[in-house]
Amino acid sequence: MSASTRPAPTTRLLRPARALPSAPRRPDRSRSQRKLSRAGWLMVTPAVAHIGLWTALPVLATFALSLTDYNIFDAPRWIGIDNYIQIWNDPTFRLATWNTVVYTFWTVPVSMAIAMVIAVALNQNLWLRTWYRTAFFLPQVTATVAIAMVWLWIYNPQQGLLNAALSVIGIPGQAWLANPDWSLWAVILVGAWQGIGIKMLIYIAALQNVDNSLYEAASVDGASVVRKFFAITLPMLKPATFFVLVISIIGAFQVFDQIYVLTDGGPANATTMMTYEVYRSAFQNFQMGLASAQSVCLFAFLLVMTLISRRATRGDDE
Amino acid sequence: MTASGATRRHVALRYSALGTAAVLALALSACSAEEGSATEDSDTVSGDITLLTPIYEGAAGQRLLEDELLPQFYEQYPDVTVTVDYTNFARLNEKLTTGVVSGLVPDVMMMGVGWVEAFADKGVLANLSESGISVADLEKSTTPEIVQAGVWEGDVYGVPIMLDARFGVARMDLLREAGYDAPPSTWAELVEMAEALTVRSDSGSLERAGFDVLSLDARQMYETMLFSSGGTLFNDDNTAPAFNSDEGIEALESVVDLIHTSKVEDTGFSSTKETVNPLINGRAAMGIAHNNLWTQTLEAAPELLPELEPFLIPGDAPGMFVGGTLATMSKGSEHPAAAQALLEFLASPGPALAANEQRGNIPALTELLDSDYAQGNRLVQFSMENLDVAKREGGPSEWLGLRGEIAPAIESALLAQKTPKQALDDLADLFTSKMGG
Repeated sequence: MSASTRPAPTTRLLRPARALPSAPRRPDRSRSQRKLSRAGWLMVTPAVAHIGLWTALPVLATFALSLTDYNIFDAPRWIGIDNYIQIWNDPTFRLATWNTVVYTFWTVPVSMAIAMVIAVALNQNLWLRTWYRTAFFLPQVTATVAIAMVWLWIYNPQQGLLNAALSVIGIPGQAWLANPDWSLWAVILVGAWQGIGIKMLIYIAALQNVDNSLYEAASVDGASVVRKFFAITLPMLKPATFFVLVISIIGAFQVFDQIYVLTDGGPANATTMMTYEVYRSAFQNFQMGLASAQSVCLFAFLLVMTLISRRATRGDDE
Repeated sequence: MTASGATRRHVALRYSALGTAAVLALALSACSAEEGSATEDSDTVSGDITLLTPIYEGAAGQRLLEDELLPQFYEQYPDVTVTVDYTNFARLNEKLTTGVVSGLVPDVMMMGVGWVEAFADKGVLANLSESGISVADLEKSTTPEIVQAGVWEGDVYGVPIMLDARFGVARMDLLREAGYDAPPSTWAELVEMAEALTVRSDSGSLERAGFDVLSLDARQMYETMLFSSGGTLFNDDNTAPAFNSDEGIEALESVVDLIHTSKVEDTGFSSTKETVNPLINGRAAMGIAHNNLWTQTLEAAPELLPELEPFLIPGDAPGMFVGGTLATMSKGSEHPAAAQALLEFLASPGPALAANEQRGNIPALTELLDSDYAQGNRLVQFSMENLDVAKREGGPSEWLGLRGEIAPAIESALLAQKTPKQALDDLADLFTSKMGG
């Protein structure tokens, strides 16, 4: 295109426009920005109010109550860090904390590993795949109380399924929930089993986003199934793994229902957990201040565990 | 019982309840005319009130309350509406806690023995003495052992409806098979019989416990043993624990020895979560049981009823554990007259008898001890005959915050994690610190 054919007038028109001093237009833009800003605030206000009222305020109240002696009947009385000192010196809460850590340590990685294997298997073109997926997810949508009742029967020393199965192969039965050597493991097994469904679902969703061409390329290069799993599947599932790890740790630290139904924290506090101690302090012993302090400890544990898991998986926002 | 018999009984109960409630209302109106209570004419008693109850449990209990009892109440108080909140004793604390915190305390609440002290002390319950219900009056009509459970600092805060007791029960058919014709009368005899009645398979697994101590809540089991040893939970003025006395330690040692030395029952053989009591299905020959074992047996295996023989746990002093259920009223009720009317109605003979029958418990009203139900229930009769040696739990106002600590301590001794003395001493230290000692 020659210079003479260029749309000079347009250029000329634009140039002066660009050259115009911006100062006179600032008020218009500022007004518009303010309008946008106001609209934005207006739109987020319900969410902010909701979070403030139902999350931030109770959290702040919990922190405040943790520094008081509050027995529900009388007004809270400021006692500083006495509740925290009591928790520190309480062997039952120390045992509950240890039990919670042990429970988390075993239920989270075990159920994550099983869930990942199942997810990979159910991501193939299997016969009755949907049925299997539903079956594995079923414990997640069934009430924990109902599940715990079934496990109560399974663990029954006399008529239970587990001892009956063991007797077939000549292994003597156990009082799974009454023996302190076994009771925590019995609860861990239920927790690991129940947690598989949701983890499997997340992994299946993540697997479906993995590009098939990666596997095709690896096949062309002669990679084995195991090699493909460790070189492609596992790295591609990293964001999902981080997410699953965090929600699993939080879920494990908040285990309550199955303890409540299966063991009541017994025998001799062998299966008590941090949440169960919070419940006992609040609703059995009427020590709301102490229960709040225990909740703060639980919150601190969760925060630390989340940060550790983020560091361990080098999780990011991807 | 025939259908017509049942109908006659219901009609009789109905008139009895209405009559008693009317008499109570009249009596109270003579005592007090100033407060808004059931003392007013039933036409003026009105309002929507709530009832929190751990009794009338299950479908049968709900039917009894809603289909039989409340309709009778509405006949007398047509302007009152009752909303019922069902729970059980294990969950009652939660309901009451959330109610107190939220300021929504139910108008009428059923509570267990040991509960009234805490709620009365903190001003949650209405002082019924101010409405004309005196300790002396209650003791005229009610088993005295349970009246004190509803009294705090000399005033009445709870009106007893039923009692429940724990004592020894033997399966006489199993005892006869082993050559015994009566339950044990000494502890040594109990141990000897329990050992003889214990049945194990060739592999050593327990098939029948000689003496079952695990089907009952560990706290109540220990308290039964403690009271039979002549021990008490607290000192006379309820200011310090007393269960780690020699008697208390001996009581726990006896149970521990039964499991670890005599091996008459294995840990885990039974539990509070068992759906069928081992005395009913023959998995235990003797044991500590609740009086409602009779009702359970009546439903599950009525042919065994003649074989159930109750006995006091032989110890240094005859003793028996007794609990109960009391009707209380919220101090902050917006309709105190309606609430008190309901309280009096539920504690009156007809409704109280029906509630006791449904639950298999012991009527608190002495006049009901001659009823067909009480006379036909061997375990209720036995409980009544031995109420003079019965002891109840509770005492200090901190009891509700203390009682949950007992079971883990007893379990730690049963599991041999601690010696009985260590377990009870540690528990006593914990109690002392919580009681501000």
